[in-house]
Amino acid sequence: MSDQAAPHQGFASRYRNVLLGLLAVAIFFAAWQAVFLFVPFNPLFISKPTLILQALVSLLVSGDLLHDLAISAVPFVYGFSSAAVVGVALGIVMGWRPRVGYTLDPIMIMFYASPLVALAPLVIVFFGVGVSGKTIIIFLLSIFPFIFNAQAGVHAVDRLLINVVRSLGGSERDLYLKVIVPSVLPYIVAGARIAVGRGLIGVLVGEFFAASEGIGYAIARFGDLFALDKMFACILCIMIIAVALTEGIRLAERVAFPWRVGQ
Amino acid sequence: MTETRAIETDIGGPLESAAPADGLWHRLESTIFGAGGIVVLLAVWEALPRIVTLSAGTKLFFTTPSQIAETLWQMFATGSIWVPLSVSASGFALGLGLAVVAGLPLGVLIGRSPTLNAMLDPFITAFNATPRLVFLPLIMLWFGLGLWAKVIVVFIGALFPILINTYEGVRNADKTLINVVRSFGANEWDVARLVVVPNAMPYIVAGLRLAIGRAVLGVVVAEFFGSESGLGVMMVQAAGQYHVDKVFAGLIVFAGLSLIMTAAVQVLENRLTLWRPQRAGGE
Amino acid sequence: MPGYIQGRNVNLTFRPPNRGPVRALSNFDIDINEGEFLSIVGPSGCGKSTFLNVLLGLVKPDSGDLQIQGKPIVGPGTDRAMVFQEFGLLPWRSVQDNVELGLELKGMARDARRKVSQPLIEMIGLAGFEGHFPHELSGGMKQRVGLARALATDPHVLLMDEPFAALDAQTRDLMQVELLRVWQEARKTVLFVTHQIDEAIYLSDRVMVMTKRPGRAKTIFPINLPRPRDYEMRTTPEFNELKLEIWNSLKDEITV
Ligand SMILES: Nc1ncnc2c1ncn2[C@@H]1O[C@H](COP(=O)(O)OP(=O)(O)O)[C@@H](O)[C@H]1O
Ligand SMILES: [Mg+2]
Repeated sequence: MSDQAAPHQGFASRYRNVLLGLLAVAIFFAAWQAVFLFVPFNPLFISKPTLILQALVSLLVSGDLLHDLAISAVPFVYGFSSAAVVGVALGIVMGWRPRVGYTLDPIMIMFYASPLVALAPLVIVFFGVGVSGKTIIIFLLSIFPFIFNAQAGVHAVDRLLINVVRSLGGSERDLYLKVIVPSVLPYIVAGARIAVGRGLIGVLVGEFFAASEGIGYAIARFGDLFALDKMFACILCIMIIAVALTEGIRLAERVAFPWRVGQ
Repeated sequence: MTETRAIETDIGGPLESAAPADGLWHRLESTIFGAGGIVVLLAVWEALPRIVTLSAGTKLFFTTPSQIAETLWQMFATGSIWVPLSVSASGFALGLGLAVVAGLPLGVLIGRSPTLNAMLDPFITAFNATPRLVFLPLIMLWFGLGLWAKVIVVFIGALFPILINTYEGVRNADKTLINVVRSFGANEWDVARLVVVPNAMPYIVAGLRLAIGRAVLGVVVAEFFGSESGLGVMMVQAAGQYHVDKVFAGLIVFAGLSLIMTAAVQVLENRLTLWRPQRAGGE
Repeated sequence: MPGYIQGRNVNLTFRPPNRGPVRALSNFDIDINEGEFLSIVGPSGCGKSTFLNVLLGLVKPDSGDLQIQGKPIVGPGTDRAMVFQEFGLLPWRSVQDNVELGLELKGMARDARRKVSQPLIEMIGLAGFEGHFPHELSGGMKQRVGLARALATDPHVLLMDEPFAALDAQTRDLMQVELLRVWQEARKTVLFVTHQIDEAIYLSDRVMVMTKRPGRAKTIFPINLPRPRDYEMRTTPEFNELKLEIWNSLKDEITV
């Protein structure tokens, strides 16, 4: 089914979609900047790209931004990694042991369906505004994708493949390395991708509530100070981090599990 | 060695017992265990303060299921729930409604137009990956503490699942089926009516289900940080006054709201997808 | 003498975005007589479906001349109808609504549609299944619905793109018999694409072998077996001789 190669196909047609996307982004920022040529610019309520860029540079140069990010990263890393460990372990047990699954399924679904962020005020009041409070919120929010995906991954292990490996004389170790881990791992990584977003929500909730540093706190404070350029700069920064994390995991999925492309 | 043995057989377990032959026992078993799990959880929770002596500080933060149930009952009996609930529900309904009204056509549009899709893709990817919560301070600045800030927060939360699922559903429309109706002289409108929209329906319903969760989340956070009234406001105040039972009562009401909406969507889905061999789930 | 369907120098190149161009048809010539049953065999990807889609009016050729009864093809029309390989039934429509699709798009009223679809549904042996959804039918039943749908608009030309490829061998044999019966009754001009040489010989007046892509007519084999044909005919020496001839012509075009 190899079609005739097309060496003369132009750069533009090959990268059409990417170019269109870049074009749209450029138009968006240009229009944003240009609109204030026609309408009065009130810096208390809106900012424009040039000012945001300046603010971003100044926040980077002064080190404030990196400081806030570092502060926020600590509970994120704690909460997210503990959610990964506990969630995957729990999910695997729930998947392996049908009765454990039956028992815990409704409870987990109940927790998942209820907006657990609603417990944030309680957590903050109990654990304080420091690292521990934020860590717990992040943990609570990001654990469920790990649980559900690990469980689904175990369920998705193909019995036929287990028999195939066994019939070919594979050992227990082969069973793990060649069938079980490759089946479950993609689910877990996909779960991690979903969990990242929820973990970031946890960071923001924790820091909006009551904090004295951190990127969420910075956004809220710049809002209170009507420093819209700096606020937008921080928002932009979070967007970049979120996209980098999510798309980074997606890319890793494609590289590590090429057989799953298209699922 | 014994450990791994157990693992192998148990991996087969759920698959095997899912077979129709022992379907009834399977269902009974999972129901019994599931109900048992919840009962045990509640019982242990209820009994905990009677078994272990909690420190005074912890006691302040501790509540029991019976207390929560009592509080919940009181809130309904005295009617004190209705005002905050209706405030929250209207923010929820307006935001979700707007998200549907905007997300559906936009999803169909980018699903049918590769150019538009390529142009909007960076924005959709970026906004979808970013927790919409970052915009909360900005939205509060622009819209104040009233209903509309809440509606906007709910809207931006619920928009993307609907938009993206509609897009997926439209894009996945079967090329052959489009050719079939075209071969009978169908125009673009007929193609949309006869093939594209029915095909996208299950995706849209799945998107709606996700959107409900996001919308409830939106109401909660909007009320935590930027509202004067509503269930979320009530919860924050209760937490500040150590009325832990009231916080949990609020959580249950929110969960109930999302369950009722999800059930409504389920009914809608069953109506709309009679033609399908089985329900496909999930995202 | 011009054929009922006549194609001269038909050329078509696909230019999919983000990929190289694919030349599907090159200087394609064809002549088909009225009421004829013509089968087309050829290697995968040689342009058979493409040619049917061109005839159907779904795809426009880049150049060349293509006419039915002396009229150029400008788009889909009720004088032609296609039976699709994977059935192409709308899964959210019942059997009856699927059969009536073309009539509905013609703007025919419900009662009038009913009058057309009911005898057809009876003819294909699906009376009592009018309200069933496609997923409740077997493959053979689905393709009968596909056939009834194509016949509903009473087209002159029936285009069939590997219509039985998705069926098991027994069902396929039964469907062939049924198709011949319908064809003899309704006297349509049929273009039938298949991968099975047996099937092509058994059904057709002529069998056309296509070259590999870009597709052209390579050889046309007249099938002078008497009609009505029966199943035993497949074991006769004449049949096997034809089969060998066609296979020899086809196998040079197939690259693995
Ligand atoms: N819409 C399309 N866009 C690009 N290439 C196409 C398209 N349709 C068919 N092709 C290509 O044209 C060639 C002929 O296709 P087709 O007519 O479907 O072959 P077949 O003889 O198997 O039915 C194939 O290489 C196929 O990949
Ligand atoms: Mg084909």
